[in-house]
Amino acid sequence: MIAYATFGLLGLLSLSIPVGIVLFLLGFGLDIFFTPFPLIRGLGNLVWSTSNNPTLIAIPFFVLLGEILVRSGIATRTYAALDRWVSWLPGGLVHANVATATMFSATSGSSVATAATVATVAMPQAEKLGYDPRLFSGAIAAGGTLGIMIPPSINLIVYGFLTQSSIPKLFLAGLVPGVALALAFMVVTVLICIVRPSLGGTRRIFPLAEMLRALVQLIPIILLFAAIIGSIYKGWATPTEAASVGVAGALLIAALFGTLNRDVLGQSLLGTVKITAMIMLVVIGASFLNFTLAAAGLGNELQTMLGNLGLSPLGTILVIVGIYIVLGFFIETLSLMVVTIPIVVPLVVAQGFDPIWFGILMIVLIEMALITPPVGLNLYVVQGARQGGRMSEVMVGAAPYALTMLVMAGLLIAFPQIALFLPNAVQ
Amino acid sequence: MTGAADRAEALLGALRRINRAVAVLVGAGLMACAALVLSDIALRRVHASFGGTDEISGYVMAIATAWGMGYALTELGHVRIDILRTRGGAGVRAMFDLFAALVLAGTVSLVAIKAWPVVARSLANSSRANTPLETPLALVQLPWFAGWIWFALMAWLTFAAALVLVLQGRFDAADRAIGVVGEGEAPQ
Repeated sequence: MIAYATFGLLGLLSLSIPVGIVLFLLGFGLDIFFTPFPLIRGLGNLVWSTSNNPTLIAIPFFVLLGEILVRSGIATRTYAALDRWVSWLPGGLVHANVATATMFSATSGSSVATAATVATVAMPQAEKLGYDPRLFSGAIAAGGTLGIMIPPSINLIVYGFLTQSSIPKLFLAGLVPGVALALAFMVVTVLICIVRPSLGGTRRIFPLAEMLRALVQLIPIILLFAAIIGSIYKGWATPTEAASVGVAGALLIAALFGTLNRDVLGQSLLGTVKITAMIMLVVIGASFLNFTLAAAGLGNELQTMLGNLGLSPLGTILVIVGIYIVLGFFIETLSLMVVTIPIVVPLVVAQGFDPIWFGILMIVLIEMALITPPVGLNLYVVQGARQGGRMSEVMVGAAPYALTMLVMAGLLIAFPQIALFLPNAVQ
Repeated sequence: MTGAADRAEALLGALRRINRAVAVLVGAGLMACAALVLSDIALRRVHASFGGTDEISGYVMAIATAWGMGYALTELGHVRIDILRTRGGAGVRAMFDLFAALVLAGTVSLVAIKAWPVVARSLANSSRANTPLETPLALVQLPWFAGWIWFALMAWLTFAAALVLVLQGRFDAADRAIGVVGEGEAPQ
């Protein structure tokens, strides 16, 4: 059954049938051939109960929050402000790319939106100041991936939903590895620019007064982040409620800066509905597949298969990491996550691993997938925002950061506490 | 014969405009729901609450999801993996796209058909949610069901219009209706 499911999945995906529909089809196939009673009768109920869900409404809320921040020009202001603070480092503006991407990932919950924003703002600057286009664009692509790791993360909400794990815990677990990755990206940039100073462009030092003025621009966004995360951990609000606080905060900030108008709001709402429907078709399809896989006895079969392979728990994880790296070359990220969760997570949990920890490891691997060719969504986004230049430049520039992520994945496997100590400490 | 292709393009344009309007309404509904959740948090601080906000958010999510699907369809928002597809010429790509559109329309129709018994049962039993609000379930399930019917209808109309375009050799227009958006343009 596992072989049928895997080949069916890859075959249908390669026919370029929409991913959500592929998951339904696979579910129908398993239902016909492997389940003891026809589950298709429950399809309507399953679709209803999956989408009638007060937790998942956090997804459109967080998307809306990000859309408002990006479309009302707050991202642009943040970039300019961060530039004042980090451009003295070797690598200059490249750090502003990473820092802006990190801040927006913290609020917007979407990697691609983050990369698109930073790329649009930053690219004109790069040419003016003589940066190496490879390093500069690679850093944007890589920094943008932090969006799915640092809370609030839509991918973590989806993971939590499909694996029945606590979303606040997942958010806490993602915080330290996410910030660590951002810092690691900056260290890597400094190292590269010390070895090859020509890549780094002009370093600039701004007067203190200007730095302080810039700080004023940053305060609202930092407060917004603190309000969202704080209210979840203080137990005042569920992730859904915190997301609604975030929407209100974003509207307030946009209004304060005088950039909120009908057009911005309309475009933000349209973007939100489109992205939400896109995510939900995949999530509903995955729920149905989950349901059929469980009924068809996936658990037992996986146990038997693992027994036959004779892999140690560590060996299993390493094989899984390898599979994600390979699949990540070809499959877009949310799809990669959603199609593999029903098969991989039960397997990992059966081996005694913590599903929260595995969620974070999976996110790191998926972040890598975002910047590894040929199907690295963020690479295309950044390339799309550039004025000319070759795609391969972005790929080369992103490579050192992809390696950094691989190291982070290794560290997470060696020291699970990097992810787990924070949720355990708060408990 | 170009008349048929022009009519197909006009139909696709109309579908896009209608679904855009639907999406604005859906978005407004989501905003209203955010406002409701927010006021509930505020009221809880002073030890009052409407209660049932959770339940209402769930219904809003179900209905918004169903009605947003058609918009995502007309905006080419549903994710597809196009590794093989991009290797072909315009004709091959059109075949991939038509096949995918047909499979989508069929699957979504099946979901919509299977959604009806859920609503029918709630209607027949006058079921109410097992919650303090005691929401009559048919009241929220009917709009949800209608959203899936709408999605199925949009999928068939889009498929039919694209089929006409492909048969007339208008590959570029068909690509705009059922193709894959370049990955750089996809995100908002």
